[in-house]
Amino acid sequence: MNVHPVTLEVVRNALVAYSEDMATALCKSAYNMMIYEVRDYCCGLIDTEGRMISQNKGGLPIFLADLGAAVLDGIERYGLDGFEPGDAVIMNHAQVCGQHLNNIVIYTPCFHEGEIVAFAANRAHWVDVGGTRVGFGSYATTEIFQEGLQLRSIKIYEAGERNEAVWQILQDNLRFPESSLGDLRAQIASCSLGERRLSEIYGRYGADTVRACIAEIWDQAEAEAREVIEEIPDGVYSASSLLDNDGRTLDKPLDVRVTVTVAGDEMTIDYSDMNLQVPTPLNSGFSGGLAAARVAFKCLTMPDAPVNEGCFRSLHLISPEGTIVNAKSPAAIGLWSIMLPTVIDTILKALAPAIPDKIPAAHKGDMGGVSFYGYREGDGRRFLLMNIFGGGWGGRPDGDGESAAVSICQGDVRNVPIEVQETNFPFIVEEFGLRADSGGAGRHRGGLGTVITYRCLQKTSANINLERIVDPPWGVMGGATGRSNVAIVRRTDGTEQSVTKETNIQLDAGDRVTFLTAGGGGYGEAGDRDGAEIDADLREGFVSAKGAADEYGYTPASEAAE
Amino acid sequence: MERVGIDIGGTFTDLVGLRDGVIVIDKCSTTPDDPTRGVADTLANVDADIASIRDFLHGTTIAINTVLERKGASTALITTRGFRDVYAMGRNNRPEAFNLEFRRPRPLVPRSLTWEASARMTATGEEIEPLDDAEIEAIGAALLTAGVSSVAVCLIHAYADTSHERRIGDILARVCPDIFVSLSHDILREYREYERTSTTALNAYVGPRVRTYLDRLQGFLGEHAFGGNIQIMRSNGGTMSLGQARVQPVTMMESGPVAGMIAAGRVADALGLGQCIGFDMGGTTAKASLITDGAPEISEDYYIGGYASGQPMQLPVVDIVEVGAGGGSIAWTDARGGLHVGPESAGADPGPACYGKGGADPVVTDADLVLRRLNAGRFLSGRMGLDPALSEAAIKMKIADPLGLTVADAALGIARIADASMSLAVRTVSVERGCDPRDTAMIAFGGAGPLHAVSIAREIYIPRVIIPRYPGNFSALGMLLAPWRQDFVQTFVGDLARIDAAAAEAAFDALRAAGRDRIAEEGLSEDAADFQFAADLRYRGQEHTIPVPLAGPDDLGGGGSDALRATFDRLHDRRYGHAAPDESIQIVNLRLILRAAVSDTSSDWMTATYVPEDARPDETRDVIFEDSTAPVASRIVWRPGLAPGTVIDGPAVIEEPNSTVLIYPGDVATVTEHGHLDIAVAGAK
Repeated sequence: MNVHPVTLEVVRNALVAYSEDMATALCKSAYNMMIYEVRDYCCGLIDTEGRMISQNKGGLPIFLADLGAAVLDGIERYGLDGFEPGDAVIMNHAQVCGQHLNNIVIYTPCFHEGEIVAFAANRAHWVDVGGTRVGFGSYATTEIFQEGLQLRSIKIYEAGERNEAVWQILQDNLRFPESSLGDLRAQIASCSLGERRLSEIYGRYGADTVRACIAEIWDQAEAEAREVIEEIPDGVYSASSLLDNDGRTLDKPLDVRVTVTVAGDEMTIDYSDMNLQVPTPLNSGFSGGLAAARVAFKCLTMPDAPVNEGCFRSLHLISPEGTIVNAKSPAAIGLWSIMLPTVIDTILKALAPAIPDKIPAAHKGDMGGVSFYGYREGDGRRFLLMNIFGGGWGGRPDGDGESAAVSICQGDVRNVPIEVQETNFPFIVEEFGLRADSGGAGRHRGGLGTVITYRCLQKTSANINLERIVDPPWGVMGGATGRSNVAIVRRTDGTEQSVTKETNIQLDAGDRVTFLTAGGGGYGEAGDRDGAEIDADLREGFVSAKGAADEYGYTPASEAAE
Repeated sequence: MERVGIDIGGTFTDLVGLRDGVIVIDKCSTTPDDPTRGVADTLANVDADIASIRDFLHGTTIAINTVLERKGASTALITTRGFRDVYAMGRNNRPEAFNLEFRRPRPLVPRSLTWEASARMTATGEEIEPLDDAEIEAIGAALLTAGVSSVAVCLIHAYADTSHERRIGDILARVCPDIFVSLSHDILREYREYERTSTTALNAYVGPRVRTYLDRLQGFLGEHAFGGNIQIMRSNGGTMSLGQARVQPVTMMESGPVAGMIAAGRVADALGLGQCIGFDMGGTTAKASLITDGAPEISEDYYIGGYASGQPMQLPVVDIVEVGAGGGSIAWTDARGGLHVGPESAGADPGPACYGKGGADPVVTDADLVLRRLNAGRFLSGRMGLDPALSEAAIKMKIADPLGLTVADAALGIARIADASMSLAVRTVSVERGCDPRDTAMIAFGGAGPLHAVSIAREIYIPRVIIPRYPGNFSALGMLLAPWRQDFVQTFVGDLARIDAAAAEAAFDALRAAGRDRIAEEGLSEDAADFQFAADLRYRGQEHTIPVPLAGPDDLGGGGSDALRATFDRLHDRRYGHAAPDESIQIVNLRLILRAAVSDTSSDWMTATYVPEDARPDETRDVIFEDSTAPVASRIVWRPGLAPGTVIDGPAVIEEPNSTVLIYPGDVATVTEHGHLDIAVAGAK
């Protein structure tokens, strides 16, 4: 069926707008900051074969892979004729979804003239799903059963009726039921909105035309990606890097090895040589590896275009079971996303020799965050403060790296304002700024990391997960590495301790924790940097006089003249 | 002329005046090098006696253009020790998630012009480190050495306690009296340090230039013996005095578009429309706003230059959804045969191909002309001739030939794509705000709005479209109708069920006192002012709040809070489709909206019976509606000559000096008693 180009454009814009509307609705009425500030969610429309019709733009990049996998599991269970209007399905099963259990998928069926035509779906991060530790991020788990409740394709609403038994189970097994059940309501409302919108476009153009438009939109996205890959010289490109450790055996780094094969207009990413899965939660299911491959591919091929099924047809993934990016169930996967920025950086690094004018140096490379938790002195209420830190991005072919920006796995993720943190939690933030000299030297300097210091006002616990210390953000084309992540705990008794990965650190009133986040790697030789740019860095304080002398061998013109 | 509203836009400077109770309108070219000249021109066009003007209402793009063109003052920033990079780092986010080349918005103040003060407050306004006067004096001296002409001061938690900022203001006034100083608490008293810093920096950045402009305007009016009152339109839908505009120039950022929505609100009120959509289509963008009980909604997350790379402004702005589709939006094709419209605009120069100023790109206006919806001889009262042959040539070369379409089909496609994208914006402000388009009406204005309104209404099933009088000068009209308005906000965080009565009382007293002070400064009478309080509420754990009106502190405590919570549950359900009546509610901010209505004859025309001009004979033209191969013979009608009660069946084109209305086959337009066009849209079922 040929569709008129005008109809096609109208349907295309509408489908993307619907996913955006779903995201706005979810974000504005969600109950936890992981959704409304960290944007740890995605919303989309999925067809009856589990394929991505459209997805919102602003959510978490690593969620662009596989809402469809979650929906397919439900289709297998209930059959397409087993859904009716008013159903809502909840899903986080590790084996199917491959992500930590906090990521809850909700979807509802969409009908047109009595026939099921699609699903409106979203995935959002709940603050807690039970398990051994509050929130997520414990290194202590060894299997999925310690990480919380698993819910596999359960109808939480059936024809508009709430499943009270499941609701009760949720209420009794979550540490913050108020928050999570609020999020659940917001997620369902977001799906209903998607359903209503989709029915408008089906009503106006009919199912055949809308289907034909969707097929054409996928074909166009596919063609666009193929054109870009065609430009990359054919070849087999490999790269490797290191993750610090599995969180328990601290002296043994993990290998990240990828091979990228470009042949004509197709790309294959191969994880066969990846580190075997580990007995700690630093694994992901298949979905994690897939997400990393897709993020790298999307950045290279069509960064601005909306996400849909067609974008990835020319990407092939070889991901054998049993590695850290496709761990075999019932592996623990609580920290499933920690390694993904490094995997993506490594894929880009592999391609640097092929397309040096497109690939930046490595970025800070971790998800960069902290959780502080405890019971509030006074009313005894439980609190949980999570914040996300930006860091430096790598120098780029056409300029310096951006400073203080969240990782490649986190797009429109925002940190928590100091004033909001201090209003709601028992801390004083003493400093939050750029970390001078942290960007790797190069013709185009790496972006700067950040520094933030918390002073505890009462007894508090903390989880800290830093990454990329063993193998800090590397430079490309001769650029230097950026400074790596570090956290320093300074106690009131004067002791000082540097921390990288630790769960349940005990802190008292007056103790301080400082996070120094990584800078990006440099692009090109430091000796090729323009003197005027170094002068500007000195004037703005991004590089110190010592840094300029040590890293660039540079003395400011004014001083040299004296 | 007693009252006059003048709106300086990117292309045109519009005037609406009130002379002996009669509305006078004019439109002339904007003069960017010296905008006051355009003001002088338009006043001269209508033979205004400047000395007789009592109220001069004014909106201008000078503030927003200063930011977009980055032509503001050399500006410094003073912040709390430890936080000098907050402004440059933003929220650490990357809205363009897959873009390896992304760039954060460049701050208006460089790091080298940022100073830290060693003073610190807590979230509840307790001092944990005092201000050091000597340090501030040294910073003041450094500002002079650096040669800046403006400085923003934004300290952590200054919204909770203003004393440090006030002290800094006092010291700077003494040490460097010629530098423009913006204190964050003078602009807003709400938490979120990055957004507050950005808002304050914006104010400081535009301040000196806006002052210079206002001085020039005041000087010009003074030379002509003007003895009246100058009011400046602000983004919150109200006006402010010239003195206030000098202190808070940032609040005039979106003055023009907002004024149009204010006028739409007044028309809605006059017509008894409880809820409707205001729709404004100009040269580069189209804007939509939901209007409830005669007033457009207000929102607080606004980014100058767009979300991805813009500067946040945390102030009340009339909630307008904007899309890059206007009369001048350029149509283009991509490599794979996709047809797109906008967001690039041909602007005023070269403008649409049909202007004959050398524009080679076809725009929406060209398509309208090829479809014969626009009258080539009557554009802008015939002062600007249009050449359809140029439109056809541009569409043929850039769109029709590459896509293998006929010129007419390509033109229809351009119009349909523009309409579809505008209808998404209209849908966003309606459905997303809990309003079903099928139960509502749309008030359409702006130069191009009336031409596209009915098509959009048909697209999303809006059954009724109102084309008010003076649609092409609607923003200037809105300025005449806008009340004086000042917004106050005070962050006040707590559980609704456990509010400390004394603290609530104190917070209200502080807001009320601030309001009274402002009224006194403006020389207004307290009797004329309307104090309206609201609380920003949310369920515990949520971030986004909904403002809920309340009468006073009593509404927050005891039995009063039950009513407040019920209202909040209802509003939340309406807006987001769910509510949680069992969960605790948190209060975040208290607000005071202070208004003083204009009491005069500016709106009399809205209730007076419309007296038409002399009628002109109808014409007939073949107009393309939905089938490019089958143009429909349509009546061409001169609107100013239509008497109240006249009924016009579509297909028809209703033309007037600064706008054109398109009526589809089956639709029926009726001239109301007051001269508006009330269109029943048949295609919207």
